Amino acid sequence: MEEYAITVKDLKIRYKSVQAYSIKKSLLRLKGVDTEAFEAVRGISFEVKQGEILGITGKNGSGKSTLLRALANIFSADEGTIDLHGHSVSLLAIGVGFKNEMTGRENIMLSGMLLGFSEKEVQARMDEIIDFAGLGKFIDMPVRTYSSGMYSKLAFSITAILETDIMLIDEVLSVGDEKFKKKSYAKMKSLISQRNRTVVIVSHNLKTLEELCDRVMWMHEGEIVKIGEPKEILKEYKEFMK
Amino acid sequence: MNRFIKDTKKYWKYTIYAAKSQLKTEVANSYLNWIWWILEPFCFMLIYAFVFGFIFKHKELYYNAYIFVGLAIWDFFNRCIKSSVRMVKRNKAIVSKVYLPKHTLIISDMMVNGFKMLICLAIVVGMLIFYRVPVDLHIIYVIPILITTILFTFGCCCILLHLGVFIEDMSNVINIVLRFVFYLTGIFYNIRSFPEPYRSLILKGNPLALLITDLRDCVLYQTKPDVLWLCIWLGISLLLSMFGIWNIYKNENTYVKVI
Repeated sequence: MEEYAITVKDLKIRYKSVQAYSIKKSLLRLKGVDTEAFEAVRGISFEVKQGEILGITGKNGSGKSTLLRALANIFSADEGTIDLHGHSVSLLAIGVGFKNEMTGRENIMLSGMLLGFSEKEVQARMDEIIDFAGLGKFIDMPVRTYSSGMYSKLAFSITAILETDIMLIDEVLSVGDEKFKKKSYAKMKSLISQRNRTVVIVSHNLKTLEELCDRVMWMHEGEIVKIGEPKEILKEYKEFMK
Repeated sequence: MNRFIKDTKKYWKYTIYAAKSQLKTEVANSYLNWIWWILEPFCFMLIYAFVFGFIFKHKELYYNAYIFVGLAIWDFFNRCIKSSVRMVKRNKAIVSKVYLPKHTLIISDMMVNGFKMLICLAIVVGMLIFYRVPVDLHIIYVIPILITTILFTFGCCCILLHLGVFIEDMSNVINIVLRFVFYLTGIFYNIRSFPEPYRSLILKGNPLALLITDLRDCVLYQTKPDVLWLCIWLGISLLLSMFGIWNIYKNENTYVKVI
């Protein structure tokens, strides 16, 4: 029997009546707050095998990023379940949460600890991360002084070097300058090709998806249109988007 | 509750590291760096001592130490509360990218402010030596008083963290409430000089006034604090904290959708 890394069942995620309100607004409108519900993910089910690379594509607002964040346990499911079978998970998105006033080095430590690594484990890989990010002396400067490219380079390096069982990637394949792009793409490939690592990639870059993924899932308005062989699915998707 | 203990343990190292880095960052960006932690409360004390001690001629014994005790507790409470209202929004970059129990943000922040409070209290000890204030066994009450202070602050912070996410103008309201409480806490005067019924009403109904008065009693004047009301507020603080944590756990996944 094959082992699964991710099992999603009838997942629904809604954004409803949870918008923040101000006291003035609610005083002026005594009727109460709007309870308009918007369903971003509409009851989808799928499974990802251990070691598989799943690509997700679809037009803007189709619920891809919401799904990814739910997989990372940042959102809770409104209905349905997500089972990660006890695997550790990290979400790699452009600009992982940094504290702007702190130095790059401190942020590496903080992010690493948030990903569930011990201080020692992060310390052991610190040099590797700093080396990969290639920020030079900026690593000991506050993150607020970084350019946006440097910011994403550091973010990428942290999640790329501190390896979790499941990696969720949100449009991060094109970070930084040409040189770093090549380097990160190569690193990504080598990370992904490790057999026991499960990867979910959300991207609009169809070429990368075709190159990297074992399967591709096409989402439209919160539902799965098709899931299967990258070549077939992407061809149909291209037709659809014309 | 089990989940709270498990999570707190799991994220303990992170909490401490975050607090340490926060303190380091504050220091790194200013000229006088850590001296400010002493200088700031010291200057406030001088101002109050000048206005109330010198101009209004307050006659409390050890008036400077008296103010310092009040300021130490008040500043701790005030800073924690103010920052808890915007806690989730301020840490948006983190909470929207990775899961962490939201109360660790509060604990980390309380550590930073608690460290500053400890500096203030260390200065109080220095003053006790300077004024040659006699110290006796009553000093032991400092422990339950500080525990109550910390628990009460934590409970309030948990509830405000939740409200702050959903109500945009919460921080305006809190500023007004804090100012009101500040004047009813007796940082620079003695609540006991109030006429009844206000005196006992404030001393029983405002935990900060109670805590500060109690702390002064046992540290400066070797008298027994109001143990009954201290216990009552300890109980209330416990309930408040438990409710706050339960409420955060119940709602924390929707926070990210709002901010």
